[in-house]
Amino acid sequence: MSLSHQNPVAMRWFALAACALVGGCSTQVIVEAKFPTPLVQPLPVSVGILIPEELYNYIYTEDVPEQSLWTIALGDANVSMLQPLFKRMFRDTRSVDAVPAGSAPAGLDGVLKPTIAKFEFDVPVGQRDKFVEVWIQYQLSLYDADGRTVIDWTVSGYGKSELMRNRQDAVQKAAIVAMREAGATISTKFADQPQIKSWLGEKEHAATPGAGPQAAAKPEAQ
Amino acid sequence: MQPHQGQDRRQPPNPKRSEMNFTHFAAIALVTGLVAGCGITSRVEPYKQGSAVIQQGEHVVVLARKQHANHEAEADFVQCISTALAKGDKPIEVHASKEFEDKMYPWFEPSTAPLTTEDLSHLFERPGVLDQVRGTGVRYVVWLDGSTDRVASGGGISCAAGIGGAGCMGLAWWEDDSRYDATVWDIRDLQSEGTIHADVKGRSVMPAIIIPLPFIAHPQAHACRDLTKQLKQFLTTPEGYGGRAVDAG
Repeated sequence: MSLSHQNPVAMRWFALAACALVGGCSTQVIVEAKFPTPLVQPLPVSVGILIPEELYNYIYTEDVPEQSLWTIALGDANVSMLQPLFKRMFRDTRSVDAVPAGSAPAGLDGVLKPTIAKFEFDVPVGQRDKFVEVWIQYQLSLYDADGRTVIDWTVSGYGKSELMRNRQDAVQKAAIVAMREAGATISTKFADQPQIKSWLGEKEHAATPGAGPQAAAKPEAQ
Repeated sequence: MQPHQGQDRRQPPNPKRSEMNFTHFAAIALVTGLVAGCGITSRVEPYKQGSAVIQQGEHVVVLARKQHANHEAEADFVQCISTALAKGDKPIEVHASKEFEDKMYPWFEPSTAPLTTEDLSHLFERPGVLDQVRGTGVRYVVWLDGSTDRVASGGGISCAAGIGGAGCMGLAWWEDDSRYDATVWDIRDLQSEGTIHADVKGRSVMPAIIIPLPFIAHPQAHACRDLTKQLKQFLTTPEGYGGRAVDAG
């Protein structure tokens, strides 16, 4: 068992401190926030949630010219955004350790694995720009009970925040807005994706013969 | 009454005193000029198309429009309006903006917030949304759109330091423009009640004669006061309100 499994918080701080030592003059941001539970109707499926270690411990580093080495830790925020989101989006959720290979754990219709595909940020140097901007892109991979990939769906979130005296605070606020945006898209558009509509239709059909994909997707449709 | 003969009360002119008077007047003229240069011009245009009046127990929530890429009503401006509505003469019950957005998540985020009352009506058809709004007690949403931007600036100040001391010389000025629209939606009757437009310009100057003397205008604070005053009237006056611009120098 790795040290990160034993104490992920300590590992995150250790990684940040190491980045700071290596980078010399660095700017560190630990994004922490409480995200609200979405006001959506749960989809009638049971889904296993696989949150990979790299998402738990996601740290973005970038050496910004004319500024410093920025280190942005998003791990805690990822977990506090995605867990209540998925819990509300599906009839039933449970944590799983792996993508199903052949067959999913009993009672699960599929497994959902979120990862961060891309993260970018911009802190203005001149006086003309007054917003810090953050872009975040998640990839949601949904696997069927037999391990088949239903969809690899990329979801983007954009956030901006007024540039304040404390630049770290502005980056943190912009990151939270971007994550909320991504969460809003996930919770409102998930069931609109054609592959997911079809998958939901199959599940509903298997459960109650006669029901179609539209019926299953209706509560979430935009 | 006759004046006393031979008693001229006028004193002979004192050259030192005249010089002091001149300096005094020059300083007053300079300060007056600078204060006049540092000024606020305000224009508020209210337009009320409905006749709704806020009732006891009904709340207002003030939200920023966040769909624009290059501008957005500042968080402290939204807070200023919310706080001012809840205080002073004719206080109104105001629901906290962040709390409302959290309770209604994900439906009032930048990408999902309703842009028209028709969108709002579709949103309320979703299961649970209308009940959640009713639970907040909010009847009116005030959408704030706009921002405060620097529209002009000029001049310059040079500072130097030496063995004998340090000092600055010069004159810098800048002009900020606060333009905001406050659109009021009645979310019970699903209609827009009207809009209040505020445009407040403020010119600040900073002369430096040895030390810089800032004369700073705060158009955003002025816009907050003007909009709040109008919003209170808007929400409490049933008819005959709006349709005329209010200018303030």
